Amino acid sequence: MRTVAVFSEPDRQSLHVRQADESFCVGPGPVPRSYLNIPNIISTALITRCDAVHPGYGFLAENARFAEICADHGLTFIGPRPSVIAAMGDKATAKRVMNEAGVATIPGTDILASVDDAARAAAEMGYPVLLKATAGGGGKGMRSVERREDLERAFAGATAEAEASFKDGRLYMEKLIAHPRHVEVQVLADEFGGTVHLGERDCSVQKPSHQKLIEESPAPNLSAHARASLHAMAIRACEHVGYTNAGTLEFLAAGDDVYFMEMNTRIQVEHPVTEMAYGIDLVKEQIRVAAGEALGYVQGDLVPRGHAIECRINAEDPRNNFAPQAGTVTNVVFPGGPGIRVDTYLYPGASVPPYYDSLLAKTIAYGDTRDAAIARMERALRETVVEGVGTTIELCLAVLSSREFRTGHYDIGLIPAMFAPTV
Amino acid sequence: MTIHNAYIGIGANLGDPSANVERALVALEEFGAIVRRSTLYRTRPWGKTDQPDFVNAAALLETSLAPRELLSALKTVERGLGREPGERWGPRIVDLDLLAYDALEIDEPNLRIPHPHLRERAFVLVPLAEIDPGFADARDALPAEELQGVEPLNRGTVTGMAAQRTHVTARVRRLAEFLAAGDAVRVRVESPDGEFEVARTVRGAATQHVATATATDARAMRIETIKADLVGIFRLSRPAPTEGEVLDEDRELAYIEALGIRTPVRSLGTGRVVAIASVDGAPVEYGQPLFLLDRG
Repeated sequence: MRTVAVFSEPDRQSLHVRQADESFCVGPGPVPRSYLNIPNIISTALITRCDAVHPGYGFLAENARFAEICADHGLTFIGPRPSVIAAMGDKATAKRVMNEAGVATIPGTDILASVDDAARAAAEMGYPVLLKATAGGGGKGMRSVERREDLERAFAGATAEAEASFKDGRLYMEKLIAHPRHVEVQVLADEFGGTVHLGERDCSVQKPSHQKLIEESPAPNLSAHARASLHAMAIRACEHVGYTNAGTLEFLAAGDDVYFMEMNTRIQVEHPVTEMAYGIDLVKEQIRVAAGEALGYVQGDLVPRGHAIECRINAEDPRNNFAPQAGTVTNVVFPGGPGIRVDTYLYPGASVPPYYDSLLAKTIAYGDTRDAAIARMERALRETVVEGVGTTIELCLAVLSSREFRTGHYDIGLIPAMFAPTV
Repeated sequence: MTIHNAYIGIGANLGDPSANVERALVALEEFGAIVRRSTLYRTRPWGKTDQPDFVNAAALLETSLAPRELLSALKTVERGLGREPGERWGPRIVDLDLLAYDALEIDEPNLRIPHPHLRERAFVLVPLAEIDPGFADARDALPAEELQGVEPLNRGTVTGMAAQRTHVTARVRRLAEFLAAGDAVRVRVESPDGEFEVARTVRGAATQHVATATATDARAMRIETIKADLVGIFRLSRPAPTEGEVLDEDRELAYIEALGIRTPVRSLGTGRVVAIASVDGAPVEYGQPLFLLDRG
């Protein structure tokens, strides 16, 4: 299978560009002019006579209009149909659809028309509340609001961030659930009605901005009831909307209660965790499904083994409010050995541009048991060398050694608690 | 730099002769571009039954080397390919002969062009006539039993499309190397095989080639590069701008075709067209240099 990479000018020397069979520059650094530049991206696919487009994650990955445009030009979009992306990718609509399917959702609103609308909704459901971008993902366009006084600023900030990241600044609101765990279910469906889940991932280790930092599968200390409930709801949701290709349903779990939060109609950053646990190449399955192939297996054939953990190594300074670091990576050494996988674009001399997400590398560790996976991850992180920009490696190690993480009793308050001002 | 046509004769009869001939052809690429090569022929040594069959071929090498330099290069290739393993002083694995060089005639002690025995040897003339029909008459003048001793080794080894592709690829590669080595932006070659034009473009993750102009006094110029701001196919406008043309007003020079829409590329003012950095019909990416204008 031959590949064509698209890149922005600052990414000209990026690893994916060097490894693709062909590459085209589609614009300058700023995202809207390059990675969101639909005409240039489509033009590239047509000129190089591509059959299909894989949108990755972020950018146009959940843009139903882009999926439509691909189809209009005879290009297979590797993902669900545009109507499904629109229904589930729009977070507010998705909640409505899930309610129809009998899946429990978090109390919340539809799209907020204005900040006044937001104020009314918040007063009704009671603070604290969470403002979320309907086109969002990756923690972008999200703001929690503790009190009425903070609402205007949070609304404006979330709107601007959503507009910049997804070309869609619309927000909706949810009740902020106390001490929730973020647990998500990986699904995969072919175009013949074959739908399977590939277990759940616990992604509660999040930065204060709600962006995930560490993910693991299976979720530790989850009751059998809650686990079964999650898997069943995920399948039910997929069948209800006629979902095809890969996707993830995100839930908030508080005790034994699980609430549907949103669905990401794309492959996710942390998909390698599931790949390690199930021995399945999810991106390959995406391509197969898009090519019209049947899955070829049923739920009973999928048996997870052992435990997998992923740590995101970001170019950020945790001590400085996770300020993104740009620059040149002068030296880089990645760990190896059994049960270790590293997905990265880094090589010595690689430049980290200031325009994009700060993710540098994903380190995934697999072990027969959770403790074995943790031990391997700790060893791998200590062996990792990234020089030239600050990273989140130390923070990941701190989390892994915390009592909460080791015992598997943590929620999304884990990292914020570590950074709570001690006055 | 002038390009010359050199006809090379290749022969081998030790080890794996076919493979050795192919390796010689690859090695010759260091000194030019093989624009034509014959199929492989097996020559039964006539009357000498104790010798293994020879494999022979002929190639047309486009090169900038002078005859003596080329001869030296051929010797280098022979030495580089070595000898039969275990035979320190034994025969060479491959024999390379300079058969002809343009229309030159040289008669010097250790350099005679055309090769003195060229017209006597079937194993030279048969492959040579295959790549250059000009030698057909000389081949046909040979005795029948000589010609019968030379047979194609494998019918269709390198014929038709593959040979054409090799030919074109080699020619284009040679021109690209010529471009990369100097300041030229575009090179055009007209030959009996067709016209070849190679232009410097900026694509992919390779080192960015900055299109520069061939100019006698670059310092007196104020060069501005007009770049593509979208992905598409580059097409020159009609009438097409020409290199050296002076634009006395803002003008549309070309357009980029993408998704059924033609986006004009304008000169954005006056100036002299120093170079046209892309080729009509070529795909261009964002930021690709299209025109170099001297704003004077």
